[in-house]
Amino acid sequence: MGADALQREQQLNRFLAEVERRALRIAEIAVRDRDEALDLVQEAMIKLVRNYSDRAGDEWAPLFYRILQNGIRDWHRRQKVRNRVMVWFGKGAAADDDYDVTAQAPDPAGRTPEAQLQADEALRRLEDTVHELPARQREAFMLRTFEGLDVAGTAVAMGCSAGSVKTHYSRAVHTLREKLGDHW
Amino acid sequence: MTDTRNNEQLEQQAKVLFDSSVEELDAATLSRLNQGRHKALEELRRPAVVTWGRWAPVAGVAAAAVVAVVMINGPAGEVPANGAVTVTDFEMLLEADSLEMLEDLEFYSLLDAVDAEAQGNVG
Repeated sequence: MGADALQREQQLNRFLAEVERRALRIAEIAVRDRDEALDLVQEAMIKLVRNYSDRAGDEWAPLFYRILQNGIRDWHRRQKVRNRVMVWFGKGAAADDDYDVTAQAPDPAGRTPEAQLQADEALRRLEDTVHELPARQREAFMLRTFEGLDVAGTAVAMGCSAGSVKTHYSRAVHTLREKLGDHW
Repeated sequence: MTDTRNNEQLEQQAKVLFDSSVEELDAATLSRLNQGRHKALEELRRPAVVTWGRWAPVAGVAAAAVVAVVMINGPAGEVPANGAVTVTDFEMLLEADSLEMLEDLEFYSLLDAVDAEAQGNVG
């Protein structure tokens, strides 16, 4: 491997290491399953490296999240169809209520049990409420607030105009304020 | 003005909670992320190849089998009015990366058989 290729690999490694944990949590909130989220993130990483490794480093984040969001949308479509087919075969829909954020979280260091409980509860409410947003609003909110992409980057990741990003984001924040208002 | 301040407060609080959940990811998850990243980086060393083509015959046979089962048996349960299964649904499920669906069906059939056997023993 040449020096340029080695440098590119190191850049990609740094980029992926930088985004992978947030990407995992974003995917996890969207699909409510850590294993599925891990698969989606790995698939997005592979596709980014395979198809866009030669692009400029500052393009990687929007491209990576575009791949990930497409994967999440595709996952939801397949789940919907899978559940319909399961009903057709008389197997019933897969349960979606066995997700437990508290159980997923490891023991934190340096917090009292009460503080930890409060934080867990706030996080659970936030995740539930974000998950219930319409898909495009959820994408806009998570990419802007959680990942910190700017409007232009979010537009690339979502495959829409900057104006649409602003609209989706504004509606998402409005809905979240309405639903979380009493608790925040 | 108050709306803007409230929005900013919500965004900040959501970000803090989200970031703390990222920091608290367990070691096993971090390890799997690390493995996934290295697997992705291996793509840089791999020549581009089209791999799905070799699954096409398998997908074709699987599609034909599923359609045949459906044609013969019809729906096993009550299908919701808005939940009709279409050819497109099967096409989506039988994409090369959805073949695990067939394994699911086998698994659920096995569960049914085990349940039936257990009920037989009890009754």
